[in-house]
Amino acid sequence: MAKIAIIDDDLDILDASSIVLTSKGYEVITATNPDDGYKIVKKNKPDLIILDVMMNEPDDGFFLAQKFKKEKFNIPIIMYTSVSKTIGMDFGINEMVPVDDFVEKPISPEELIEKVEKLLHSQVGR
Amino acid sequence: MENNHTPKILIVDDEKGLRLGTKRLLESEGYLVETAENGLEGVKSGTSTEFDLALIDLKMPDVDGIHVLREILKAHPNTVCLIATGFASYETAIESTKQGAFSYIPKPFTSEELLQKLNQAYYKRQLLLEGEKWKKEREERLLEITFEKTRLNTIINSITEGLLVVNKNGEAVLYNPSALKYLDLNSITIEEHIIDKLHPKIAELINKFLFAYKIERKSYSTQIEPATDKQLFIEATSSPVPNPDGTLAGVVVVLKDITGLKQIEMLKSQFVSMVSHELKAPIAAVTGYLHLFNDGTINLTDEQKKGYIKRSQLRLDGLLKMVNDLLDISRMETKTINREIVKLDVNEIIKNQLELFQLQINNNKLKVNFDAVENLPLINADRDEMARLFTNLISNAIKYNKQNGSINIKIESSERYLIVIIKDSGIGMKPEEKAKLFHEFFRAKNEKTKNISGTGLGLSIVKRIVDSYAGKIEVETEYGKGTSFKILLPIR
Repeated sequence: MAKIAIIDDDLDILDASSIVLTSKGYEVITATNPDDGYKIVKKNKPDLIILDVMMNEPDDGFFLAQKFKKEKFNIPIIMYTSVSKTIGMDFGINEMVPVDDFVEKPISPEELIEKVEKLLHSQVGR
Repeated sequence: MENNHTPKILIVDDEKGLRLGTKRLLESEGYLVETAENGLEGVKSGTSTEFDLALIDLKMPDVDGIHVLREILKAHPNTVCLIATGFASYETAIESTKQGAFSYIPKPFTSEELLQKLNQAYYKRQLLLEGEKWKKEREERLLEITFEKTRLNTIINSITEGLLVVNKNGEAVLYNPSALKYLDLNSITIEEHIIDKLHPKIAELINKFLFAYKIERKSYSTQIEPATDKQLFIEATSSPVPNPDGTLAGVVVVLKDITGLKQIEMLKSQFVSMVSHELKAPIAAVTGYLHLFNDGTINLTDEQKKGYIKRSQLRLDGLLKMVNDLLDISRMETKTINREIVKLDVNEIIKNQLELFQLQINNNKLKVNFDAVENLPLINADRDEMARLFTNLISNAIKYNKQNGSINIKIESSERYLIVIIKDSGIGMKPEEKAKLFHEFFRAKNEKTKNISGTGLGLSIVKRIVDSYAGKIEVETEYGKGTSFKILLPIR
């Protein structure tokens, strides 16, 4: 079964998301800051990354996504956002924001699973 | 006589008969007459008072008439002087007019001759006075204009707003020093073509008027950042300057520094985003847990369920605290707090707060040193505000402390102040963090604080409360070692 990394500084979100994903049989690894996030991804080579945009700094998530892209990790990324629209970071998916999908918090388990499955399946033919 | 003014005449003659006869004649004609019986007396009278006219005998025993004439004219150039002489000759006539006499009259003269000459002389006198008046008015007016111009320039140069006036050819006509700064130009030369040197958006504002078919009586505004490295925002407003006939003379541009407004705008956006983020995070967390409970496919153990309910409760408490903090701030901002000032014992307030925090203190294994001080002066304050003040400080001393750390609370009093010192053995602050400590929404962000929740509003509330009681707050901190807050509340 696929391995998913969740990187978010909110422990409750990490917890709830992990339970949802493990209940569907996914293997979940977590980190609460960009540095640890980078380390677990590099070490464990997950099949998918769920990444929160705002951690220590409002744009930590972006920088981490760019780093993964630059270092050619080639792992699909779902980005968790909460207030990106309010602070004017109304973005699309592009070179600057190399992620595959956005998810506005809070998210229902069904929606999360659907997004995860969709992205994982699209990877099969890659 | 032409006007109702009584002409004033001085007669200088050593011949008594002639002096008195002439005096009588002229007085009957409406003149105000004074006489002098010799040259020196004539000089004295004619210089000390300004006469309209003077009739001066040429030959006198002490000084001659020419001398008297010269002296009088020196003092009063507008006194019209006539020379009377019994030795009329071409030379004396020339000489006296050369010296400034209006005319001369040969002696003996008839009443008619004299009156005719005096009439002419008085007419001349009036012309001279009129001329003098005009000259004076003109000088005053020139002075006024010069003064007005200088004053206007001084005013224009003094205003903080930038001012630039261009004529219809786009050439600079007038500017003030502020304009240079706001346009990011080193200099402007009057009459140089200025449009191409300006920020394109300002050039556009001016060109709207210069290229219009007819003069538009309205203004255009734009906001620019003249130089990207200077943190300066300018609002430029252009308006047409009309000629008296209504055609376009030029365009006036007023430049206003709106950096402060921009900063407020930015703070507001920051405020909105911070509040949204902080409010949304607990909602997302609790919603996440609720989804787990609702999802039939997920099996949670009782222990998990209990844990998640507890976590949800904590997150909602935090959310409520945040909302209350925001309301406090907003209430303080609109000064709608209804204070109930009573005599308060700070010992008791701190004791109550410590009891409320007992669970957290135990969880973090903190040692609290606090001894109530006997005979402490009471302070006049609102109980809720004091509770809020010390809640925030004690809560910080707990949150930003270390496991097994300590909190020392000391109360003392001076003549004017009750002093409370709350010292923690926590993570402390870096100098740059200390500087921003009381800013709204500021939270020290580093490895040590990442897991500490907070609204970033607590100390801002503390500062507002202390300030509102004319108190003082002092902070000492060392990164990694701990922080000490010293609160001084006036005793009244």
